[in-house]
Amino acid sequence: MHPKYTGIQYIIPAFALLTLVLFSPVFYGVWFSLFHIQYGAATTFAGVQNYQDLLADPTLPGTLQRSIIFTGAAVSITIVLSLALAVWIHKLGERRGFLVQMVVIVPWIISTVVATLLFRWVFVNDIGLAGSIVKMMGLDEIHLLNSPHSAMALLIAVSVWKRIGYAVIILLAGLKGIPDDYEEAARIDGATPWQIFRRITFPLLKTPLLLVAIVLTLSNLNTVETPLVLTGGGPGDATRILPMDVFDRAFITYDLGSATALALAMFFGNVLLVLAYVRLAKWKT
Amino acid sequence: MKPSFKASIAAGLLSLSVASIPFPALAQKATVRMWTFLNPAGTTPREVTLAKIVSDFQAANPDIEIVTETHAFDQLTPKFLAAHGAGKAPDIIWAATDFLGDAIGAGSLADLNDLFIKKWTPEQIADRKGPYWDLTNRNGKQYALFTSRNYISILYRPDFFKEAGLDPATIKTWDDFVKAAKALTVTDTSGQIVRYGFAQGYSEHQADPLLMIPMVLASGEGIFKKDGRANFASPAGVAAMKFQTDLIKEHKVSPPQAATWTVDDVYEQFASGRAAMILGASVRVSTLQSKLGDDKVGMMLWPGSGDVKHAPAVMAGWAVGVWSGSKVKAQAGKFVEYMLGPDGDKLWVTSGGQSPGLQSTLNGLGDFTKQPGKAYLNVASEGSANYGWLAPIDFSAGGYRQALNKAGQRILVNGEDVKTSLERAEAEFNRQHKR
Repeated sequence: MHPKYTGIQYIIPAFALLTLVLFSPVFYGVWFSLFHIQYGAATTFAGVQNYQDLLADPTLPGTLQRSIIFTGAAVSITIVLSLALAVWIHKLGERRGFLVQMVVIVPWIISTVVATLLFRWVFVNDIGLAGSIVKMMGLDEIHLLNSPHSAMALLIAVSVWKRIGYAVIILLAGLKGIPDDYEEAARIDGATPWQIFRRITFPLLKTPLLLVAIVLTLSNLNTVETPLVLTGGGPGDATRILPMDVFDRAFITYDLGSATALALAMFFGNVLLVLAYVRLAKWKT
Repeated sequence: MKPSFKASIAAGLLSLSVASIPFPALAQKATVRMWTFLNPAGTTPREVTLAKIVSDFQAANPDIEIVTETHAFDQLTPKFLAAHGAGKAPDIIWAATDFLGDAIGAGSLADLNDLFIKKWTPEQIADRKGPYWDLTNRNGKQYALFTSRNYISILYRPDFFKEAGLDPATIKTWDDFVKAAKALTVTDTSGQIVRYGFAQGYSEHQADPLLMIPMVLASGEGIFKKDGRANFASPAGVAAMKFQTDLIKEHKVSPPQAATWTVDDVYEQFASGRAAMILGASVRVSTLQSKLGDDKVGMMLWPGSGDVKHAPAVMAGWAVGVWSGSKVKAQAGKFVEYMLGPDGDKLWVTSGGQSPGLQSTLNGLGDFTKQPGKAYLNVASEGSANYGWLAPIDFSAGGYRQALNKAGQRILVNGEDVKTSLERAEAEFNRQHKR
């Protein structure tokens, strides 16, 4: 075999596996979305009818807007907090740093449903710990889930709490990869700690930051468990975001046509977002 | 011939000879897959009962293995329908009432007459007759048998009633209901409500049919029009929605935070003594009693109005059927017949705490329902026979409870007008179902 084809030969098994487990459901979804669906089975060819129905849905712009607000806020807050935490942990001694890492990562390693339920029981439900503390302090009961704004704020808080551990670990690895010499040289030249962070540390964290931003965006944009368990999309539609809309269309009203169309639109949206991130960061390999 | 080659030949011949030995029991053992929401490894009364039924059946039928796969209850039937569309569904399915019409319409359920009902005597069929039987019978074909029959009305705490000097039997009208709820609402010295008279959850996640539905049905109005479009914003619907939201806003006998409570939240509040009455299901009573004690949970029918003694409660349940594409229909049918037959039905009642599916089971219970805490079985049976409503299956009703709950949330949280909110719910439901 010609040497230039040797590489292709090596990647064929992996590519075949990827095609099978990753791309085939997408192709099937595209095909499925082009048909009228009755009782879970594709019947007659519908062309782009499912997509047209989706675009004509008056609730979709609101859902999209809430998804952007939720994802944007959750990702921004997580990155800022995790960066601060990572820098702090990096400066701690090995043993204390390890202990803090363990505490921070716990929400990330437990299942999303369990983590969200814990949050709901402890902080939200008025028979939980937070409610008891508020009552002990002689304050009125608080019902954070009953206001559209505070319900969205809680949803963002849970998402940050759940995912911050992952971001901290990745950024910490990035920090550990920066040679100490750079910081030392800057300090000798008279740079302040803020200047060192802004001019040296932050630029060198570009790759882990990009990775964290991509993963957090995708995981927040596609999370269904958190809003489903925490708020059920309510009150009203205040916390209904796109993945929950897909879930409801598929499992509550059983409209698989529009559910598939929306899921595919989200998939291509995700792909575009990743491309945009990489391009914005001018990431060259 | 090399020794190793000889050894290979010998091993091959030995394998062939072993393979040819007849093992009828092993060769013919059929595996029957069943999808349900109950986990046989769980500890609730219904889960323990299912495990016992499976174990008893397998002991009596060593050639059949029942493999139970547990799914979230609100996703179970849609997943089954999708699996049917893909040609890979389980052999036995527990279908939710809301999606039963879809399941039958999709041709996903086998006719049980062909599997075992044709062998039944007229007495056996009469033993099972009733609204649940009729719901799963189309053009003479019986597509499923019901289990986990659910009667959704009022669960109450007898100890709190006693404490307030109230008798549940005196709640005959909706006015009586409000008066009782007020009497059962307890405030502490600082003015905070520590126990509410009545609670029901408005979350769209795990939505139970709210109090307004029995009120509407009692007025003679329907929740749906004949063509399947929603009929939420009728004058009766508006009055009923106003009544139930006024329990929070006007009468202060129901918690405002219930605007986002799920069904499970409501049961937790009830179990923790934060609510004296809740909208609750008969199938949950045994679990609550196992936590609180048999004498701490009672069940009553909805109040009535005018000539209607009791408003019709929403009935639900799980229609157990055999997948039409199953390769082991006979074995699957055999298990369904056993699980919901006289032996299984008795276990579901005495161990699982469910309402009986057979009249003979009810008759044979004797003093069982007179035992402490078992009176709810009579209430549920009486209600199912005389004051019940099953969602129609001629069209998909999926999402109607969620739509009404969301309308309630908008009224309670956003202060939306009752009629406007119900009209929005109607429009959303009709649009979602393309009606």
